[in-house]
Amino acid sequence: MNGVERAFKIFGKEGDEKKFRGFRKMRGPPPEKGEILIKAENVVKGFPGVWEHLILDHINFDVRAGEVHALLGENGAGKTVLANILSGFYVITSGQIYVRGKPVKFNSPRDALEHGIAMVHQEFTLVPTLTVAENIALGLKEYSSLSFPLKEVERKLAELSERYGLKVNPKAKVEDLSAGERQRAEIMKVLYWEPDVLILDEPTSMLTPHEADELFKVLRGMAAENKGVVFITHRIEEVMKVADRVTVLRLGKFMGTKSIKETTKEELLKLMIGEVEPFRPIRKPVKSEKPVLEVIDLHVVGREGVEAVRGVTFTVREGEIFGIAGVAGNGQRELVEALTGLRKVKSGKIMIMGKDVTNKSPRELAKLGVRHIPEDRRGIGVAEPMTFGENIMMRDYCSPPFSKNGIIDYDFVTRHAKELIKKFEILTPDIWNTEVRILSGGNIQRLILARELWVEPKLLIAFHPTYGLDMRALTHTHKLFMRLREKGSAILLVSEDLEEIMSLSDRIAVMFRGKFMGILDASKATVEEIGMMMAGIKPKEASA
Amino acid sequence: MKIPKKLSWFIIGVAALIGILFSLSMVGIEPRDLLETTFMAMTPLILAAVGECLDEKAGVVNIGLEGIFLITAVTGVYWAEIVGDGVGGLIIGGAIMGGLIGLFFGIISTYGKAAQVVAGMGLNVFGLGFVPFLMVALWAFPGIHMFDPKLVIRTIDIPVGGGLFRLSPITIFAIIVVIVVDIILYRTLLGLRIQAAGEKPEAIDVAGVNVNHIRILASTICGALTGIGGAFMPLGWFGGLVKEITAGRGFIALAAVVFAGLDPILAAVSSFIFGFSEGLAFTVMITPGVKEVVPHYFIKMIPYIATIVALAIVGSKRFPKALGKPYIRE
Repeated sequence: MNGVERAFKIFGKEGDEKKFRGFRKMRGPPPEKGEILIKAENVVKGFPGVWEHLILDHINFDVRAGEVHALLGENGAGKTVLANILSGFYVITSGQIYVRGKPVKFNSPRDALEHGIAMVHQEFTLVPTLTVAENIALGLKEYSSLSFPLKEVERKLAELSERYGLKVNPKAKVEDLSAGERQRAEIMKVLYWEPDVLILDEPTSMLTPHEADELFKVLRGMAAENKGVVFITHRIEEVMKVADRVTVLRLGKFMGTKSIKETTKEELLKLMIGEVEPFRPIRKPVKSEKPVLEVIDLHVVGREGVEAVRGVTFTVREGEIFGIAGVAGNGQRELVEALTGLRKVKSGKIMIMGKDVTNKSPRELAKLGVRHIPEDRRGIGVAEPMTFGENIMMRDYCSPPFSKNGIIDYDFVTRHAKELIKKFEILTPDIWNTEVRILSGGNIQRLILARELWVEPKLLIAFHPTYGLDMRALTHTHKLFMRLREKGSAILLVSEDLEEIMSLSDRIAVMFRGKFMGILDASKATVEEIGMMMAGIKPKEASA
Repeated sequence: MKIPKKLSWFIIGVAALIGILFSLSMVGIEPRDLLETTFMAMTPLILAAVGECLDEKAGVVNIGLEGIFLITAVTGVYWAEIVGDGVGGLIIGGAIMGGLIGLFFGIISTYGKAAQVVAGMGLNVFGLGFVPFLMVALWAFPGIHMFDPKLVIRTIDIPVGGGLFRLSPITIFAIIVVIVVDIILYRTLLGLRIQAAGEKPEAIDVAGVNVNHIRILASTICGALTGIGGAFMPLGWFGGLVKEITAGRGFIALAAVVFAGLDPILAAVSSFIFGFSEGLAFTVMITPGVKEVVPHYFIKMIPYIATIVALAIVGSKRFPKALGKPYIRE
């Protein structure tokens, strides 16, 4: 670049199209339908020194232009690792990757981007304090770093927005966006590079069903433009809905690639998890009438100073699972926070085992036998920079046998941790040298379950207890809940997963705008009834 | 939106200042003297504070500003004597020397993965111990060094109200730096990358921008600006060098940064407030009629009390998420 050009870039006029060197030109003509865009042959990936086994064990994978290719597998199957390899984050241990027939070796995500491969990560990579357009601009290396081509970025974003039906306000600050909007912004960010292949890692995990459907439309639209879309998920229904082909991974092994037209849900499930009996709990009626948790006309003020829980009254008895259903953001979080001592109660009363515990600290509640599986597992469920061992004793460290006279018995904790790792099937490289933040979401959830449920609690407050767990662990957890119920624990289950609520609970309350729409007997309730109540419509015979 | 709001605060501030100056002139404190010292005292604070804003925006926290001040005050004088020119000393012994320290600090806190607070504290302690030694080594006289008055950077003299208002060109330079840094930070791609490096380094790593390079660049600029501030103290202000010349101004600059919540313009404003309190201390000490009434020990405390009060009232500000954490790609 000569001085004049550089000067132009610094002081350049708006609308000078020549300035934007499209990536398209660097990569040759756009792909034709059916062309093999990426081909991965015998890819092996290990993390020596951290994990003993191979994370990916001789995987074959290809993406064609014009298809949505789903990558299906449970947690820890290696889906994300494979995606990270294709998008240049990880270097492969052995094997070969071809992009449009040419062997390539990526050293950085930038390399992959320049080859037309872009990835949308599960964790957001946008800078929250900047606007959407600024986030995209900061990655544009064709401009001088002292220029500020925001107008052009905004214009191109508007174009892309139109073309793919993705609605994002380029001038909005990212931290002000909802999860769905952020996701769209993330997609826009990678679309800006005009990729041939777009990889999305679990894009639906943060979305409402409606938002997910909109996303699927966008993905189909991209496939129609002869892009290759790789869609990572652990939900079979989504695969059936949106994909053309599907590749299944299980514990780092390649289980096969199928065309959607020639496969069934059952076959995919079998490939994904092997032979597992689906869990259908058989329940005896609740024996005891003894209340464990009593909540009387509870009012709680939420984060924005608005009253989030507005007069809730209910009882959970011994040996009962009490489910609370509802769309996220209707006061469930504040209710749970108040019950676990994390948030001050405005008015009303909380009683546990007949004792008034309103506004008592979490520590005092724990002493009464209350255990808590929080919603935000990475945020408050674990201390991410601390080790596995430290996290596993975090609830009980101050009482025997974990510690005696204020000194922690590390031998006991090590033995205890080993036991729990086995019992709860937690995948961790090690106990005392592993920071919890490197574990996958599913394994963190298992850690929390193990920490909270190794003893039988008097009262368990579980918020999304199976979020992010695979089929096996989910069944496992459900069985555990039923066992605790048999033994007389009272369980308060808050979940957005209706199926989970319906199959586990004895009674179900539906929460809407801070109030209960009604409390139903689970054996008589129907999905339609609950669905209507979640939307705020009161069925006639709902009994409170 | 942004500018009118800032402008209205600016007008309020100027009005308040005029009010204060007027009421002080009632007790016999000359506003011209007061402002003159304020601008002098403000200059090193602004330079260091703005540099630190840039640095912390990029995710590097350098609490070693005091150390850089100390070292560059000595090297600034040394180079001024060699070159035979105050500005030359400011550039070589201040900017370049400070830049090198910043570069070093940037490298150890990115590639070296150092704990930045500890490294910064180390820099302060090093400066404190090294400077007396350096002064003896260079001039064979402990703790104090008087240099040729011709080396002192000449001020611009503006006739105001029957006297001369002496304004250092370096003060003007410092104000220009504030504006330039503000523009770079908010109106260029480089600035966006700097902000991203501190807030979410993964975001620029994905785009192929080297996080460590950005941070080292910010750290170097911070060091260079602080270095100019350090060399300014003997060469542009006091006209002499003692080993405690900085008197904790590096820490006051840090306070200004916190007070400003990393905004360069606000950092300049808070530097002005701290500079003003120092100017007040100076003028009270020399004003007849006032100096006899108010004990000078008390007066000398003003800038530091102002710092504590300012930090206490400002409360919590939002700081970059990745501040102080070396970036490691997983």
